Amino acid sequence: MSNKIRKSQSISRRGFLAAAGVATVLPAIIPSRVLAAEGNPGANERITVAFIGVGGMGNYHLDSMKRFVDSGEVNIAAVCDVDENRLRAALEKAGPGVTPYRDYRYILERDDIDAVVIATPDHWHAVQTVHACQTGKHVYVEKPACCTIEEGTAMMAAARDNKRAVQVGSQGRSEHEAYLAHRYLENGAIGRVHTVTCFHYSGPTDEEPLPDSAPPPELDWDLWLGPMRWRPYNARYCPGTFRWVMESGGGLIRDRGAHVMSCAMYWMNADGTAPVSIEATGTAPTRGLWDHCVDMNVTYTFKNPDWTLTWNQPGEPVPKEERTADEPEITRPGYGAVYHGDNGTFVHWGGDGGTWAERKCREWTPPPGAKEVFKSPGHKEDWFNGIRTGAKTIMNIDASVGVADLCNLGNLSYILGRKLEWDGAKRQVIGDELANRMLGRPQRHPYHL
Amino acid sequence: MGIDRFAGAMSATAAAEANPPLEELLTALRSEDDVQRTQAWISAGAVGAPAVAPLAGLMLDAQPEVARAAKRALWQVARHSGRPGAEADKAAVIAALLAALAGERSDAVKREVMWMLSEIGGDESVAPLVSLLSNAELREDARMCVERIPGTASLDALKAALDAAPQDFKVNIAESLRKRGVEVPEFPSVKLVPTRSTNVQA
Repeated sequence: MSNKIRKSQSISRRGFLAAAGVATVLPAIIPSRVLAAEGNPGANERITVAFIGVGGMGNYHLDSMKRFVDSGEVNIAAVCDVDENRLRAALEKAGPGVTPYRDYRYILERDDIDAVVIATPDHWHAVQTVHACQTGKHVYVEKPACCTIEEGTAMMAAARDNKRAVQVGSQGRSEHEAYLAHRYLENGAIGRVHTVTCFHYSGPTDEEPLPDSAPPPELDWDLWLGPMRWRPYNARYCPGTFRWVMESGGGLIRDRGAHVMSCAMYWMNADGTAPVSIEATGTAPTRGLWDHCVDMNVTYTFKNPDWTLTWNQPGEPVPKEERTADEPEITRPGYGAVYHGDNGTFVHWGGDGGTWAERKCREWTPPPGAKEVFKSPGHKEDWFNGIRTGAKTIMNIDASVGVADLCNLGNLSYILGRKLEWDGAKRQVIGDELANRMLGRPQRHPYHL
Repeated sequence: MGIDRFAGAMSATAAAEANPPLEELLTALRSEDDVQRTQAWISAGAVGAPAVAPLAGLMLDAQPEVARAAKRALWQVARHSGRPGAEADKAAVIAALLAALAGERSDAVKREVMWMLSEIGGDESVAPLVSLLSNAELREDARMCVERIPGTASLDALKAALDAAPQDFKVNIAESLRKRGVEVPEFPSVKLVPTRSTNVQA
């Protein structure tokens, strides 16, 4: 990927604004792209970043970005949220010189901002990523990448056409023990891996459903809904609980599957490939508006090479291994995966910001001539490198859409109650008109791709 | 607590052969027992078109969980009819959904029925959906649902709707046409134009 900005391939913000008769205000911060060669921040220049969505993971990202501000790598220019309370708190945390916005499109019209961190509810990820790429911003977007196959296709095209560095927040790939696991498996330490069995504890249920109500005054409900079709506010949608709504978060298979299965696809060298069939079963909540799977089993069958990936919620959890005081503690043993090879098995726990590899992997010494694998400098550092050099990020948009496809197709198979035969090249279900129509979802104006 | 939905789908297939009584479904959906209600909506798909009108009515039940179960049951009916090789079932369900849409139903019920038609409907669903483009409460849902239905009937209807739409809605229709591959230069997209200001001060 070249790091050259090709304005002709980007939608002109000013063209949009001129067409709409909207005035613009020039920002005071000097844009790094003015200073950098070929339009992107140079190696020694700060990347100017804005945050879209500053609750939950957005708040975490704002915290974690401060060290890059302190080290001189990043400027924080703006924060944005549809919840005024969260926005106010983020503004206070971000410090002086930062502009607050409710509407992310104010950020996209600022030419001084190089990149955005998107940590909104999942139903916003694709639209905001596409819009950001189209207006010349590099993107760090939370996982899962998207809610539909159609959104994923649009995200890949937007990043590619506008030559933007997109990093998706399946940060497990950048963890140290993930590197060890990748190297271990890549060198055939357990032989050819034929099956990967993911495990995760059951999803939540709502024991006290609430009626629809007026949204709280601090929340712009219409903007929270964004691309989703309109419905009345219910306190069980947010904050955070959008994860248990199929249309938005899609349940644990998208929340944590986007981590655990991200590791699997990476370590199996399966990025860029797709299963040929997907078959899901699951259990539905018995009350309340949440409609995700409480429990779920999905089988993905891959061909050439042949292997099987299964998502098992709860499956058969593997007790965490004992670790000494000087070893990183396994704090999230409730999910992970077992890799079954011709010559043994390998277990990891977690798969996100906490990824822990089984001891025999950590103690494995590469023999002479062993293959080396990419060692991420850190998930955000890897993104910065992508911005500055055009290098492919470790969880680039193509790879992350591939993982999101697994999650979305698993849910689709569950919803329809039937096995899906998948044509990964055409991104279509074979012989199932309804399933194909459900690969996309019309979006509300003007919050659409 | 969850209920095995795949088992429900399996039993729905078996139930289709047994032609399960509609009244049993409706009784179970009205149950105060969470499990029984959930088992009922999961198994509703095989009941098919005869269930559409009663389920649409039950969606207005005063008990929120009963109304919710009825809505989910109706979705099961719609999606079950869309399975491969079930054209006759689908046609019957579409006809029943169109009848429900035409009846005196709340906007909330109409909205769900419209989206069901967006998934399984064809040319026969276009005109009834287009007629709702003049309904201020439902027009945006109607636009999205027409956009989703493949074929020339829906495309021609959107083109005609662009002319007929009030000025403030033309840009919405224009976006649907763009989604369908039509160039609409006279109504530029406003999707990137910010409109919502915050009250939080820097």
